[in-house]
Amino acid sequence: MEQINLSIRANNGICFFRKKTVYALFFLFFSFTSFAQQLVKGTVKDEQGIPIAGASVSEKNTSNGVVTDFDGNYQLTTSTENPIITVSYIGFQVSEVRVAGQATINVILKEDLQELDEVVVIGYGTQKKADVTSAVASVKSEDFVQGNVKDAAQLIQGKVAGLTVSAPSGDPTAGSQIKLRGLASLTGGTAPLVLVDGVPGSLGTVAPEDIESISVLKDGSATAIYGTRGTNGVIIITTKKGNFNAQPTIEYNGYSSLSTIANKLDFMDASDLREKWNEGYEFNGANLQDYGADTDWLDEITRNAYSQVHNMIFRGGNESTNLTASLNYRDIEGIFLKSDNKKYTGRVSVNHAMFDNKLKTNIGFIVSEQKFNALGDGTSFNSYIYRQALIRNPTEPVLDEEGRWFERDVYFYDNPVGYIQETLGENKYRNVRFDASMSYDFSKDLTVKGLYTRKGNSNIRGFYETTNHVSTVKYGQGGFASRGTDNYIGNYSQISADYNKSFGNHRVTALLGYNYEDNTNEGFWATNRRFPTDGLTYNDIGRGQGLEEGEAGMSSYKSSDKLMALFARVTYNFDDRYLLMASLRREGSSRFGKDYKWGSFPGISVGWRINEESFMESAEWLDNLKLRAGFGVTGTNAGQNYESLSGLSYGNYFLYDGEWIRELVPTRNANPNLRWEKKEELNFGLDFGFLNDRISGSVDYYSRTTKDALFNYSVPTPPYFYGNILANVAEIKNSGLEFLLNVTPFKTDNFQWTANFTYSTNTNEVVSLSNDEFQLTNDFFDEGYTGEPIQISTHRVQEGQPIGNFFGLKSVDITDDGIWLIETPDGEIIPATESTTEDRQVLGNGLPKSYFSWNNTVRYKNWDFNVNLRGALDYQILNFSRMFYENPTVSYNTLNSAYDEVYGKAVLNDVQRLVSYYVEDGDFLKIDNVTIGYTLPKSALKFTQSFRIYASGLNLATFTGYKGIDPEVNRDRDRASGIVPGNDERDKYPSTRTFSLGINFTL
Amino acid sequence: MKNIVNYINSISIRLLIFGTMTSILLIGCTNLEEEVFSEVTEESFVPADSDIVAVMASAYTPLRYVMGWQGLFDVQEEPADMIVTPTRPNGWDDGGTYKRMHFHEWDNTQWQPRNTWITCFNGINSVNRVILQIESGELPVSEEQFVAIIAEMRALRALYYSILVDTHGNVPIISNYGDELPVQSTRNEVYEFIVSELTDVIPTLSTEVDQSTYGRMTRYAAYHVLARIYLNAEVYTGTPQWEKCIEACNEVINSGQYTLSDSYSNIFSTNNDTNPELVFAIPYDQIYAQGWNAHMKMLLPDHRYVFDMESQPWGGSSCNPQFIDSYDPNDKRMEDTWLMGDQLDANDGSVVMTLVKEMPSIYDCEFTEGFRCGKYEIEPGATGSLSNDFPLLRYTDILMMKAESLLRTGQSEAAAQLVTEVRMRSFDDPAEATVTGAELEGDTTVQYGTLAEDGSIADAGNQTPVPYGRFLDELGWEFAAEARRRTDLIRFGVYQTKNWYNHTPKGDHTILFPIGLEEMNTNSNLQQNPGY
Repeated sequence: MEQINLSIRANNGICFFRKKTVYALFFLFFSFTSFAQQLVKGTVKDEQGIPIAGASVSEKNTSNGVVTDFDGNYQLTTSTENPIITVSYIGFQVSEVRVAGQATINVILKEDLQELDEVVVIGYGTQKKADVTSAVASVKSEDFVQGNVKDAAQLIQGKVAGLTVSAPSGDPTAGSQIKLRGLASLTGGTAPLVLVDGVPGSLGTVAPEDIESISVLKDGSATAIYGTRGTNGVIIITTKKGNFNAQPTIEYNGYSSLSTIANKLDFMDASDLREKWNEGYEFNGANLQDYGADTDWLDEITRNAYSQVHNMIFRGGNESTNLTASLNYRDIEGIFLKSDNKKYTGRVSVNHAMFDNKLKTNIGFIVSEQKFNALGDGTSFNSYIYRQALIRNPTEPVLDEEGRWFERDVYFYDNPVGYIQETLGENKYRNVRFDASMSYDFSKDLTVKGLYTRKGNSNIRGFYETTNHVSTVKYGQGGFASRGTDNYIGNYSQISADYNKSFGNHRVTALLGYNYEDNTNEGFWATNRRFPTDGLTYNDIGRGQGLEEGEAGMSSYKSSDKLMALFARVTYNFDDRYLLMASLRREGSSRFGKDYKWGSFPGISVGWRINEESFMESAEWLDNLKLRAGFGVTGTNAGQNYESLSGLSYGNYFLYDGEWIRELVPTRNANPNLRWEKKEELNFGLDFGFLNDRISGSVDYYSRTTKDALFNYSVPTPPYFYGNILANVAEIKNSGLEFLLNVTPFKTDNFQWTANFTYSTNTNEVVSLSNDEFQLTNDFFDEGYTGEPIQISTHRVQEGQPIGNFFGLKSVDITDDGIWLIETPDGEIIPATESTTEDRQVLGNGLPKSYFSWNNTVRYKNWDFNVNLRGALDYQILNFSRMFYENPTVSYNTLNSAYDEVYGKAVLNDVQRLVSYYVEDGDFLKIDNVTIGYTLPKSALKFTQSFRIYASGLNLATFTGYKGIDPEVNRDRDRASGIVPGNDERDKYPSTRTFSLGINFTL
Repeated sequence: MKNIVNYINSISIRLLIFGTMTSILLIGCTNLEEEVFSEVTEESFVPADSDIVAVMASAYTPLRYVMGWQGLFDVQEEPADMIVTPTRPNGWDDGGTYKRMHFHEWDNTQWQPRNTWITCFNGINSVNRVILQIESGELPVSEEQFVAIIAEMRALRALYYSILVDTHGNVPIISNYGDELPVQSTRNEVYEFIVSELTDVIPTLSTEVDQSTYGRMTRYAAYHVLARIYLNAEVYTGTPQWEKCIEACNEVINSGQYTLSDSYSNIFSTNNDTNPELVFAIPYDQIYAQGWNAHMKMLLPDHRYVFDMESQPWGGSSCNPQFIDSYDPNDKRMEDTWLMGDQLDANDGSVVMTLVKEMPSIYDCEFTEGFRCGKYEIEPGATGSLSNDFPLLRYTDILMMKAESLLRTGQSEAAAQLVTEVRMRSFDDPAEATVTGAELEGDTTVQYGTLAEDGSIADAGNQTPVPYGRFLDELGWEFAAEARRRTDLIRFGVYQTKNWYNHTPKGDHTILFPIGLEEMNTNSNLQQNPGY
């Protein structure tokens, strides 16, 4: 027995065991075997002396446990000799107390500032933060970005190293754009898998105000268990939950906001234009002549946008049932007229615990309803209208003398105010989700859980252009109506068994599960024209004569897919020093070709907690030092449904013996080898914490290689029937470093400042675009499109080069006549008029090489103050607005800068071209979110438990050399134009600056 | 309660619960076959008789690009001396694309030639696919159908190649089904291929000329294409084939299936499908077969009121005044072809605008400057898509090809007889319609040279007489705006030598267009045409 080394260390009043050798195991087992029942009771309170209801009180190393009642009281009969009771509650440090014969033990729980004891949500379960061996980040609600956020992703903007969240569009119906660890796919985009309470959903499934925490699984070893959807990371959203034995509460969070355009482009106003005419300039098109008015077209279609958001959560529970119910209403206005988004979201979740808490069941519903104006057929705001406001002659009136919209016969030139006012449209969405789950503890080690979710979305859209709309005024449609609807139904089910076992210094968990998912989409769409009156709009679409005249349109579709998988995971912890996690998912998708229906996705990671080693014992200042290494294989599902099957389509009509017959054309080649994109990722990490976690953080290095990346290859016809085939060929590499540092420079009772700094880098290379079967003739392909009239691609994706390269003419000078001088790749200087496409070269890259953020929270007495700064470095933006409008020769209104001398030499007198002059550095620093809040002192509160009032600003200031509206532009793959990061499209809905004023209180 | 707990806890019940839950979830959940609803896949496709036509149709439909957006019309007319598309006050100039065509300053991204390449190869690939599907038995056809369809498809393929040999010259001949990248052929080889294919299939092709073969390759359409190829053989190969051209023309003439249309304008009317001179037309329809939007580019926006159109035209293309000046004032084809002077409102007859002949500069023209092409009938209620069928091959062309071949082989009087025959319907006075061989051998009556803004000749440029220039004028008057002027100008040596309007010659290499950038990028076997 002399070898037993049992130590008890006192630390802030918490007692816990530290077991050092396997001999302790014998000791403990020995002690368990002797019985001595004793009744212990007491009260659990927090440091302010407020009783904690629903705290769990258990006897250590037994299944014996109770929860505290509303007044924090508990009663527990111990069953072991030398019993130790463990008291825990979310957000508080676990307290362990030796009973040692006491009959009353009152416990005061301290708020949990020790991050390591936090529980982190990982795939299909949770893990203590200290045990995590992969790159996982977790953000709790108190650290969320505050104010008028678009969706769940914006809550953690700038909070997670390596995860870029941006909001390139100011459209209130647009979500934020997420990118984790670079672009890993040529066709798959960067959207991560989003799980809402364990079930695939979206960033908008629940309201941001209803979210408790968000976990981000970053590396492949963590996401491998999600197989074909793990490549872009997994975002796990956990909603606010009720607790057993919790007092009923009502929490309210509401705010109203004002949004304005973040930045306006400096187009010529009426006086600028008249000055140009006086100087002798003559124009064709828009600025042909003075129409006598003075119209600020942008002003005519924009507004100060007022929005309001209200969120209410009811929570409460007794010892066997608890309930959470929330209702959220958002009414968001966009800065353009008729641009809006209204959404109602309701959520109910009821938990039952039965049979000694062994059987836990949950039933939940999430329902939301969304409505927004449609200015495009089936879309929200139509950005063509914004373009028209920019390029319109500012001397034109809005209305002509007879009170009609002032219109002219200029190419692609329509009155933007008329366009808005003569368009009526509404899109309505309804989302429903039913959840049911059941888990049963077969023993204290084994839990089996089953889960079923049915999801449904439906929408109906209506769109109408009146007879005063240009579609009739200029194009004779006689009114145009469209109606459309889509319906989605998804089934998701999962069954899993969790096994937990500790013996001695060994702790093992195992998970085995199966999940099945199917998705079915269908829809219908119809258009008609020539209506007898504008009064019916889209509500009686059959009245239009266009149907009889062969001008009506109609379409419908239906498609479905299935995904199923078996998965397993084992974790092993030896003595809290050596950690291991290994997982495997075997997944099949109906989208895969018939020769590759199933794929395997293994993940493994290990950790070494150096600070737990005996040789580190003397380092009292060290709280945490952990080395991690992981490897994982994940996938990206194959494109769209049916891509592996050959497709035929009945297309255009052909006159055959006096009859019109539809041609039958191939639309797709069969590819039985179609499969997932396979990403292999290595991750090395180091977690650290010093000085009572006043300084903590982590560093991660990743290297990920995507093999079998999908791309649409041109293939010869014959032997193929169709000129393209989607095939798994390309290889892409991404690597980078992520750095997170949390510091608490000041910490007193009244004043605390915490700062959080993230920095991440990414380098990217296209390794290969060809294999033996499918080749590109050259080692590159071009992406992106400038649009009329420049009509050239913007990007080149080339082997050995990073994704995101701009490709065009390198302008170095200008002739006295205002013609661009181009430097060819050979170094020769030639006028642009003599240049060819062969003279193009790489002009920059649209993907930032690094991102950083710096978040500060200061608390002084009852005041709290947040400042979040964000930025990106070392990348370029193609400024479309300048490329199109910083040119005096175009036939529309232009930027004032069109008359600046280029290179200080001459005013441009060349056609619009994609030249490097418009490729600008995008580096920026944003003061993104500033919040100041005041929490009323408890003494001042009568009916409420807490009351806070706050003011918040989003997108407040940007420091950048970039001349466009906002340097945070699209960095994802664009559905229409491909991989075109850094293209700042001229029609982009401008980003906004928002101020909010809100209150939170809990009753 | 305790009892229940114990009961539940019993092993057998645990297994039962677990087993039930698992089986509920697993039932029917291992099948990963795709369920297809709104698509046709090869697996689910069982060809019906009507599908044979449907499959074959896909080889013809690409031809509708001819009068479509930047289609063959633009390729053949914009770089030639007749159609000019200047910038109008509404700013419509498509980023200078028409100026580049006029100046012959295109590069390998110029869309109109690329569009021709892509569309023709689309047609060629469809032909090859149809042949493969029929030969492999995938599409079940009778033996009779088998022979007829394959011959028709090969003739159609030759038609596509007859366009490509003219525009790009050195293009790959794709007629085999290998999976190798297509190999480039010389212009000479492409010419030989067209000739041998047509010669081969002509005996098998249908000689029916009625509704059943309308818009399809018949024996006479094949002879017509062959005649065109022979007519331009000197350009394509360096060796003229005038005799062979005459032989091919005679086959059509002697068939007796076609006659000259009594009325010139009927050939281009909305319902022209019964016109007796159509050897091969591309059927268009406002509803079923959309694609003809060349009129939108030619008319000016206010023509909407003149023709009571539902759509508002864009702008744009008008006739070089030098060409207008070459017309005989009594030649009715001028009025039948061009919209000139007062344009009257369709409803009340008031003057909507007055078109003038003069066009100051390609950089800047008023809407009303320049006569517009009104050759193709615009029906009231016309939209952005016309229903007129495009007369790609018409009998007059057969007579004129024969005439040109006769003329160039020293039989100018016989040629003049044919030309006179064609001119007859366009002159009130038969004496004025009559031309002589000597006249046809003379120089062109078009006053070539670049124009100053006031319409005077700024730079006369090359004034060498054009051999048989007067015959070229006849082709211009007869076939104005029929998507062929470029080919004629090249054959008469005008295209690469003369100045007109704002155009000056840029060299012999402009006879062929460059192979497009994308096309070069996707096929490493391709060599760019000389001079680019």
